[in-house]
Amino acid sequence: MEETYQVIGKRVPRLDALSKAMGDLRYVSDIQLPGILIGKVLRSPLPHAKILQIDISRAIRIAGVKAVVTAADTPRRKFCMNPAWANNMLLQDEKVRYVGDQVAAVAAIDEDTALEALSLIKVDYEPLPAVFDPEEAMKPGAPRIHQEESNIALHGSRNFGDVEQGFREANSICEGTYYSPAIAHCCMEPRGCVADYDRSGKLTVWSTTQTPHPLREELSEVLGLPQSKISVFQAPVGGAFGARMGMDPIDGIAAVLSMKSQRPVKVINTREEEFLSSRIRYPMKIWIRSGAKKNGRLVAREIKVITDNGAYNHEGQYIMGNAGSKLAQLYAVPNIRYEGLLVYTNNVYGGAFRGYGNPQITYAMETQLDQIAESLNMDPVEIRLINANQPGSMTVSGCRITSCGLTACIEMVSQNARWREKKMGKKEIGPSLRRGIGLACMIHGASGVKFFWGKDCNFSSAIIKINTDGSVDLLTGSAELGQGSNTTLAMIAAEELGVSLSDVNVINGDTDTTPACGGAWGTRQTFTAGNAVRQAASEVKKQLFGVVSRLLEAPLQDLEARDNKIYVRGTPGKYVTVKEAAAESWRNRGNPIIGRGGNDDPWSVQPDPKTGYGNVSSAYAFAAQAAEVEVDVETGLVNVINFWCAHDVGKAINPIGAECQIEGGVISMGVGYALMENLILQGGQVQNTNFADYKIPTMLDTCQVNTYLIETIDEHGPFGAKGVGEPAMIPSAAAVASAIYDAVGIWVTEVPITPEKVLKAIKEKQRAKEQ
Amino acid sequence: MAKVPITISVNGDTYEALVKPSTTLLDFLREHLFLTGTKKGCDTGECGACTVLLDGRAVNSCLVLAVDANGGQVTTVEGLGDPEHPHPLQKAFIEHGAIQCGYCTPGMLISSKALLDRSPNPSETEIKTALAGNLCRCGGYLKIIEAIKSLAKV
Repeated sequence: MEETYQVIGKRVPRLDALSKAMGDLRYVSDIQLPGILIGKVLRSPLPHAKILQIDISRAIRIAGVKAVVTAADTPRRKFCMNPAWANNMLLQDEKVRYVGDQVAAVAAIDEDTALEALSLIKVDYEPLPAVFDPEEAMKPGAPRIHQEESNIALHGSRNFGDVEQGFREANSICEGTYYSPAIAHCCMEPRGCVADYDRSGKLTVWSTTQTPHPLREELSEVLGLPQSKISVFQAPVGGAFGARMGMDPIDGIAAVLSMKSQRPVKVINTREEEFLSSRIRYPMKIWIRSGAKKNGRLVAREIKVITDNGAYNHEGQYIMGNAGSKLAQLYAVPNIRYEGLLVYTNNVYGGAFRGYGNPQITYAMETQLDQIAESLNMDPVEIRLINANQPGSMTVSGCRITSCGLTACIEMVSQNARWREKKMGKKEIGPSLRRGIGLACMIHGASGVKFFWGKDCNFSSAIIKINTDGSVDLLTGSAELGQGSNTTLAMIAAEELGVSLSDVNVINGDTDTTPACGGAWGTRQTFTAGNAVRQAASEVKKQLFGVVSRLLEAPLQDLEARDNKIYVRGTPGKYVTVKEAAAESWRNRGNPIIGRGGNDDPWSVQPDPKTGYGNVSSAYAFAAQAAEVEVDVETGLVNVINFWCAHDVGKAINPIGAECQIEGGVISMGVGYALMENLILQGGQVQNTNFADYKIPTMLDTCQVNTYLIETIDEHGPFGAKGVGEPAMIPSAAAVASAIYDAVGIWVTEVPITPEKVLKAIKEKQRAKEQ
Repeated sequence: MAKVPITISVNGDTYEALVKPSTTLLDFLREHLFLTGTKKGCDTGECGACTVLLDGRAVNSCLVLAVDANGGQVTTVEGLGDPEHPHPLQKAFIEHGAIQCGYCTPGMLISSKALLDRSPNPSETEIKTALAGNLCRCGGYLKIIEAIKSLAKV
């Protein structure tokens, strides 16, 4: 029987919608403080060079300049998401390793003065040989970027089952290489930070971070300040998508400038700096070999990935792990082998980006699956249904699939898209226009991932207080980035407590008042923070029931909370309001109602460090997306005209929020990833540092998106819910590639699938036919 | 360079100020008047986050010098409505889920207003063309289109 909820499942406008619509919300760049200075960062113009000397003497003499800082003004501590891999610094002192690397910084009374001072800092560089291609960088004798013996930051492999035996059993084997380039997050709000180091020795930081509590930890490490002397406020954030995960160098630089100038300092990246120095989606070259039996059953899969780590470690090791965990998660593949190489180059370095390695590997794996299907004369939908993991599946690498709506997603999408009819139908719809349809699926951790942070920190916690008027304060360390997590968490609290949503006040992202939380990443806030909130609410409810039980002389087990009241079940007239119960507890018993909750993804299992065997997430999200495209064979232009997206979200807490995530994932990112986006690097220099040259989808690139929320009610999710954030864009590129193949019979194995590549492939195909 | 006196009406209030000739209308609004609802996304006229109405026309305020707006009438997102009486567009954006991170929202709202002011019943193509210069990375634009359509006078 379907459970009836008061709040969960309702289409609710987000809590911050009004202030966002009015233009009232204060983002980091909107913050004004008395005496505030403008900070600017001097970045390296060279991809690889020794820093011989930095002369700041002329810069510091400019009137209005209040601080000029170099590495000498910092404790020179190295940082990284995982301290074990730390090799980056707030300001470099010995070497610069990519174009955009930070060397010095200035704080001045206004931007013009800061820029003038920046131009007067003289850095003597000794250029060093540089390397930009990871395969070149791997070779012995390549220029060394760090102290290590080689540029290989990680070389790992995973083996499950017997791959050779698997391939021997296969009737069809496909092999191919796929490439995914550097991609920029393009958050509409550039990264920024306001730091205010006051004379008591307390540092207050307002940052565009998506991980406020971990940021405080990192600032404490690099600045040598105790955490109690640092307050981090996560200001409203204008999009994040992973770009704001972990400390950004400018967070620390703003702090150092404030400490030196004894004034508040604001550092906001220009859009050009965003493109130059924002951590990117890791470029990956992916080689895959897959084997299947005549009946379509996959029997073996082997993947080798070479990833450009860029100049510094940040999250490459984790991302290689996440990509590698996908070989047998989506479909049952009994024998798999994965080899990953993460290689330093003198390119801008990578970081978290929506999907965390999964969009790259899914594009490659799903594209190849279509090729296998064709070699077996099978329909792409059919081969997916045959191999789809099911609820209760245990993968060969130890992932325990609990709730799983993969089959339902595929069926929903193929039915609504009229798959068979379109697949069989006429492709030619005009003299040069061809139409095609394609489909792709994905799996992604829906509760974060366990192998994280090196400190096993996939956790969240929450505190809930009931005020004497019955209103609710929900304190969470999670991060609202625009994805709507505050609304989701408030809905979970309201449902559990039986109060109105409007009674819940969410306080988030303030490290002084909120309990620790890993932050927003890994599609985990709904699940992990949601479970913490539900537990805190449940604890509060228990306390309220204790009060009411005494007041009404009713047994605890007979009480229920709804409509802001606590009723004795079955006697509608017998109740105490939440307000009365809270006031009674506080005023007459000196015991304010406060509950806490925590969740550390306890149903997952830390993978074995040697073998990688383990259940990386407590819950998994699944999706199938179908794309319909029109391809102009004269120009190579691809126009996406329709998307059908079915996502297994467990339970949609706020359906409108889930739809927003999916539509945005598919259009604003998925279509961009498939057809447009490529951060072009030449000699380590980013060539396209603005939105005129780096194209992202505009309103003219939209198409119809038909969204289906598949509710599988996860056994561990709060009210059955799972995350949906990253999954929204993961299968989109593969679906588009598949549709292009259906339309014109060519595979483009390198995103973005530009008109140039399409045209080239069409011509090659024609040439091959003629011969 | 010597500062230049300007008089600009913003959301019905008249401001007199001395500005550098190089000051953009965007920086004037944000840094001089502290009207920070108008956002800076690129400062080069490519993202639309800074869109305001200047004498009824939607402009990228980062591409207009404050001195060129001298004597002009400017409407920013703060001038559309107030929390008790939001502009119908603001209401529609909220109800249709057309807002996520909110950073593009002020520019989207202003471009939408400029469109509806000149074309009260726009076609979908007109909407897409009018807002093509306003980038959004979170939401995929569809709910914004729905919100605008809901206000079209049939």
